[in-house]
Amino acid sequence: MLWRGSVNRPPTPEAEDGRQDQHLSLQEIINIKLVESGEKERLKELLRERLIECGWRDEMKELCRSFVRKKGKNNVTVEDLINVITPKGRASVPDSVKAELLQHIRSFLGSAAL
Amino acid sequence: MSLPNDKNGNMSFNSQLSAHLFSDLLDSIIVDVASECHRTARLGLDCNLEIEEEELRLSAEARARLSDPSNGGDVNGKYIVDIFGQTHPPVANDIFECMNCGQSIMAGRFAPHLEKCMGKRDSPLQL
Repeated sequence: MLWRGSVNRPPTPEAEDGRQDQHLSLQEIINIKLVESGEKERLKELLRERLIECGWRDEMKELCRSFVRKKGKNNVTVEDLINVITPKGRASVPDSVKAELLQHIRSFLGSAAL
Repeated sequence: MSLPNDKNGNMSFNSQLSAHLFSDLLDSIIVDVASECHRTARLGLDCNLEIEEEELRLSAEARARLSDPSNGGDVNGKYIVDIFGQTHPPVANDIFECMNCGQSIMAGRFAPHLEKCMGKRDSPLQL
């Protein structure tokens, strides 16, 4: 069997190289589509609503309040609070909420790829 | 979800991408909550927090007053000072009417009075 042209083909450029050539990665293209179609905002609203319903937001606010109580309200920065709630926040999203959002995201990806 | 390319490769890419997008959304909401709590705390809009801080301050002051030797902690002088800084006379001197016999009684003298008063049933002043 003769493999001609393909053997000496230069390797496919990495995503980073692509950026330098002003070619957007697939991920970036999808992100742009997500934002432009308004879907990102809709998804964010949906997630926000679900997280309020299940008490996740109240839990996070309580974590913030205890931290503020300890440190004193004038010594707290937004950075501090983000660091306080991020680990717990990421870990305590209910599976059903995550599944629902992932389903919406996947169906968007499905329709966007066409 | 039918995509033109290699199905397996794209499914894992899709899962990765979906997970990444979800994390993005979640992180953005986390930032929102954090900055809202920050604002609430700094502007003193959290009523419960204000009340708690006030109570902590008052109890700290009261404790300081209590441990202050210049105050009558135990029985130093005529009046005892409690944790709120109030003084009370050794014998309660509020006056009211006895519900049994109708006499005017001083609160601090009510118990001994009642011992005698209840002993005499059907007081003539009872209606």
